[in-house]
Formats: sequence, structure tokens, C-alpha cells
Amino acid sequence: MKTYGSDLDLNEVYINLKSQKKFNSVQLHFFNQKGLVTSIGLENYFSGISAPEKVLNAENSITLDLKDSLSSSEMKKFEFHPHRYAWFSFIHFEQKKIGLLVLPSANKPTSSNKTEINSLRLLIEQQLQLSHLKQEIKKTKKELSDKTLETESLIDVTEIINTQKQAKEQLFSDILIMILSIMNASKGLVLIRDKKSDFFNVEALFNLNKDEEPKHILRITKGVLKNLNDSMSSLIVNDPENYKLLNFAKKNCIVSPLESNNQLEGAIILVDKESRHGTIRFTNQDLRLFDSLCKKVSLAYDNIQLIDSLKESHKLVENIMSSITTGIIMINVLGEIEFVNNSARKIFSIDNDDFLQNHYFMVFQNNPNLIELLEEAESQNEIIFENNFKIDDLVGTSHEINLTLSPAFNEDNERSGIVFSFEDLSNLNKLKSTFKKYVSENIVDELLKNETSLELGGTQNEVCILFCDIRGFTAMSEKMKPEEVVYLLNNYFESMIDVVFSNNGTLDKIIGDELMVLYGVPLKQENDAQRAVDSAKQMFQALERFNDKIANEGLPKLRIGIGINQGKVVCGNIGSERQMNYTVIGDAVNLAARLCSHAKEGQIVISKSVFSKLENHQGFDEKDPIFVKGKTKQIQNWIFNA
Amino acid sequence: MNKILEASLNGEVLVIKTEGYLNKDLGQDIQNAAQEHITNGINQILIDLEKSNIVNSIGASIIIELIEQLQESEGTLAFCNLAPIIEKTFKIMGLTKYCSCYSNEEDAIEAMS
Repeated sequence: MKTYGSDLDLNEVYINLKSQKKFNSVQLHFFNQKGLVTSIGLENYFSGISAPEKVLNAENSITLDLKDSLSSSEMKKFEFHPHRYAWFSFIHFEQKKIGLLVLPSANKPTSSNKTEINSLRLLIEQQLQLSHLKQEIKKTKKELSDKTLETESLIDVTEIINTQKQAKEQLFSDILIMILSIMNASKGLVLIRDKKSDFFNVEALFNLNKDEEPKHILRITKGVLKNLNDSMSSLIVNDPENYKLLNFAKKNCIVSPLESNNQLEGAIILVDKESRHGTIRFTNQDLRLFDSLCKKVSLAYDNIQLIDSLKESHKLVENIMSSITTGIIMINVLGEIEFVNNSARKIFSIDNDDFLQNHYFMVFQNNPNLIELLEEAESQNEIIFENNFKIDDLVGTSHEINLTLSPAFNEDNERSGIVFSFEDLSNLNKLKSTFKKYVSENIVDELLKNETSLELGGTQNEVCILFCDIRGFTAMSEKMKPEEVVYLLNNYFESMIDVVFSNNGTLDKIIGDELMVLYGVPLKQENDAQRAVDSAKQMFQALERFNDKIANEGLPKLRIGIGINQGKVVCGNIGSERQMNYTVIGDAVNLAARLCSHAKEGQIVISKSVFSKLENHQGFDEKDPIFVKGKTKQIQNWIFNA
Repeated sequence: MNKILEASLNGEVLVIKTEGYLNKDLGQDIQNAAQEHITNGINQILIDLEKSNIVNSIGASIIIELIEQLQESEGTLAFCNLAPIIEKTFKIMGLTKYCSCYSNEEDAIEAMS
């Protein structure tokens, strides 16, 4: 005898038939390989008794004279009393004998009894089929809804990932809940590698008690993470008790790697599967779905990482592009403008994005020469350089630029466009003229030529400082008209500054009627002290010429005194962000100012540090040391009378 | 973590409020809480899932059993405050064909009374 299908509801069949009054004293016995498993239609339930040998060996329905065939104890067991005869008929299901129908009878069975039992058997078999089909439909329905849930979960995971605007922690928490519920897991957690420490942190967890949460350092070299790193595929962990991280599991766990670039970046872990009857083990079937869900998450995580790093490098490039003074315009292979950096926008007076994706023909229509060059660049693979190239910006202002047109290539080494980079020379010129206010043109050129000699940061340098002021100017100016004062001062300073610049001095500042001049910064030169003294002497000569000139205009003559000192000072751009000046500060500056105050009109007063460095001491007389404000020691000094 | 917050009668309706994962254990708890009242003749049950945002199919199947049981006594089961993801699972598992979902307890009680 073969086992009947376990999903057959035999009782249902019997109740059905009974309700249709199909039975009188019919008995139904169902068998498996070992013997009788269930009997229906008997008052007393009994089991473990084999059907009569003769019956079991019969092919189909037979009739037996029970008294001849069975022992009295068997008769008793089968409750065949008071029947003497019985019809036996096998019940088939899917061509297998699965049970026995017994129709006991007091009289010798007739052929009508045979018909009766056969039709009853057919009915039972039909009922079994029906019941089986119902079960199948129920099962299929359940499978279908499970599959729908699985499919939906895949869609949901995709949706969560694609629409993720929330923080990463929330994303992983949502994903964990989704996967956990679809897998019928009891508990779960997501671990993510910390990029700095390389340890794995718990990014999300669900349903874990406080004492189940991992408290130890999670490394790739140990435990489940090591297994995941070795296999890089989803695993069933059937011995969770051997892992510190999972030892709270009752049955088993499924774990899946999150990877990026073949590197383990994280793990999704589910613990204990639930069933209607308690906790059960995850199976390979579960692993399959879990794996495909996690692969999706892994892929998405990889993308998030990639996008993050892309954004970062994009930002970096953008920062570099916008901070450099070189204008950069990228033109794609179709001749359309793809990118313009800040400097290029400034130089071309571009204030919106309208020209982006426009052909350079349109954008540079005011610059036929430039278009010609761009066309040339498009047709060849060489870099084109042009110096002092004249362009008109979009509002019609002319600029002079030095330009480079370089062909651009993509990853496959195919032509992808042109990079048009340029320096605005008018900017350079502006720079020159700004500097020219403070230093001689020689120094500007030298500075621009040789950037290393330019020390604009905060440095300590040996500098020679010259102060020159007009004696009695305040009292004098009170008697003059304001415009005369301005006229007089401007002309005076112009002639003085000419002298300063001709000796490569740097005009530090003008304070009222006082001039402060530096030698040795921003460009270090030979013998700053000598140049300072030479300047001072020439300033007196220039003043004489100036006085002659203004005397003709009816203006009063000016008298000046000069003080010079040399020493270490701090040089740099000092001030606030709004106003910043290149200047020097230090004790040496104060002493130079004091010496200037000490000087009488027509005198140059110098300190020892200046005197000792002079190549030409002629005309300087040493005087008695003097006290100056802020100094405890007397100061040695030499005076030159102009 | 996963538990019944409250199971009390609102008129003729048993209102069960849950928290956490509607899994086998919480499903069983709901079943037990309901059973007690069903034997006392209550056949209207409202499950408030406001604080439960996750369900699994075991939890859902226990609820189906409860629905079947209530149907025998011509009773009804309803839900309120369903998270979209739970509503979707219930729909796929065929629960929503046999029970109503309301946006809040008030609406549910009004409709069920």
C-alpha cells in the first residue's frame, strides 16, 4: 500500500458522504505503507491493525466470507459482528491504492451489493479528487500571494532606494524592515563599514533586545563578517551560537554582503524565521529571495557611494574652476558651450546661463577672429596659443587675452570638444597699475616675472624705513584755501614719489603730510640702506625744484625733514577683509618715525643700522646720542644737512 | 517592543491597539485578547495599528484565522491607522476583502456601530 497524499482531508470526505446519507454501515480504512492509519465509520477508533491478508493481496473489490477468512479476534477488532460477509473495495487516488472501503453484510452479498460498493467507491474517489483540488487551489493561492509579496518587496526596495531623500540611517532602517517582514524574520540588523576606522557600525536594527545588540568591535577579520568577506555571497549561518554577533539566535540566521568595488562595505543580517508554530530555520529557498533583495540593496549602496564620490570630485573641480583667474570655456564636439567658469563669465561679462548649449558661432558672434580660431582648433589636434588676442565681451567692452585652445578627448580617446582657456591681460594690467601706485614699475615687472621673490604673506624681513614730513605744514595750511592745500600736497607727493620709485622704494603710506617708504620689500634688493639715503638726498633736490615751481604760483615754500632706520619688521597684508594693505610693523618702524621727528628742516637723521651699511658716508656727522620716546637706551645718530 | 498597548471595549466594539512588529507573537497576543471577548459575545473587533509599521505573513495569517472565526458568528474585523506598507501586504494576502480599513478609530467606530 502506498501513502495517500497528506493533503487529503479524509474526514471531510466522510462527513460529506454521510451528510448525503450514502453510508449505512460502511467503513472506510486508509492505509500507508505500515498499515491502517485511520478508520472512519466505526464507533471506536483503532489503529495499528492490518487489513485482512487476503484483502491486501486482492487487486480490486472482493467479497469475503468473514467467518471463513478472519479469526474471531480480527472480527471483533473490525467490529464486523454480527455481519458474516463483507465487500472490500480499494480506493484509488492518482492510481495508487490509498484506502479500503468495507461494506459488511449479514447476508451473502449479491451483485447489486457489488454495484453499490463500486459506485460508493467512485463517489469517494471523486470526493477525494475534489478535496485534493480544493487544497491545491488554496496552496496555489497562498503561493501566488507569497510570490506577489516577494515581487512587491523587490519593487518596494527599488522604490525606497530610488526615491531616497532621507538620511542613510533612515534608508537602511526602511530597507531592513521591508526585507525582515517579507522574509518572516524575527529580528535583523544592518552593519556598515566606517571608512575611517574600518570597523563596522550598526546602521539599523530591528526587534533586538538591549542585551542582544552588538557591543564589541566588529571587524572584517572576524566572525560572520570574515565569512561574508571570504564568500562575498549570501549565507545561511546554522551555528549562530559560535558567533558573538549572532549567539542570541534561536534557530539560524541569513546574512548577505553589501559590497562596493569588491570590498565588503556592510552586511544585512536576519535572525530566526517565524512560522505559525514558532521559530523555524531559514531554508535555501529563503536564501534565494534574500540574496536577490540584498543584491539590489548592495547595488544601490554602491551607486550611492559612487554618486557621493562623484559629487565630491565634481565639487572639487568646481571649486578649482571657480577659484582660478584663468577663464575656461568647454565646447563639446557639436560646437556647443558646455561649461563656463567664473573667471570666463567675468571676462566675457556673461551673467546668465542662456548661452549654455548654444553654438559658439552664436555666442561669439562679435568675435569673428575667435570663431576663426575655434574652427581651426576643431579641425586639428594641435594646441593653439595666441598672445595679446583682442576680444569683445558680450556687452561690447574690449579685452586683451592670452588664449589656449586645446583639443579634449574622452575615455575612448575620441575627440570630445575643445577647452578654451584664457588670461585677461587687462586684469594683469590693472594689477600692474594698482601696484604701480605703491612700487616702481621695475619692481612690478620683477614681481610678475618672478613670483618667488614676492613675499606677501606674514614674514619677518630686514627692511629700511624712511619717514619724510613737512615741517610746520599744519600751521601753514591753516592760512591757505583747502583746494590750494590739496593741489600743493598732490604736486609735492608726486615729485617725492618719483624719487622714491626711481630708487626702487615702495610707498607704504601717506599719513597727512608724511610719507612712509620701504626699501627691501616686497622685493629684496641689494643695499636698501644706500638706496634709502640716496632717495632722501634726491628728495631735497627735488623739493628745491618743486619750491621754485610753486613760488612762481604764489604758494609758500615747503620744508621737510627725513628719518631713516633699518631693522627687522613683520611684513604682510594687514587689515580686515574689506581693506587690506601691504605694510610693515615693528619697533624699527617706530624708531624711523622718531628720527624723522628729531630731524630739523633740511636734515636727514639716520640710525647706526643705516650708517653701518652705507657705502658712502660722506656728509654724515655723528651727533650726541638722543633719547626717543619708547626707548630706554640713548640712540646713536648721524645727521646730514642738505 | 512588540505588544498590545490596550484592548478595551468601545461600545460593542473591541478595540485592540498594538505596538511594533505584527508577527507571530503579536498576532497570537491579538488572537488571545480577542478570544476572551468573543466568548463573552463580542463579535466586532477593531485593530488599531498606528504604532505598528511592520507585519509579516505569519502575523497576517493569524489575523485571517481571526476573521474566519468572527465570520462564523457574523462578526466583523476592521483596521485603522494602517501604514501604507501594511495595507499593501494585507491587500496582497487577501485580508482586505473580508475586513474594512479606516483612517482612524473614530471613523471606524462610527461605521461599525
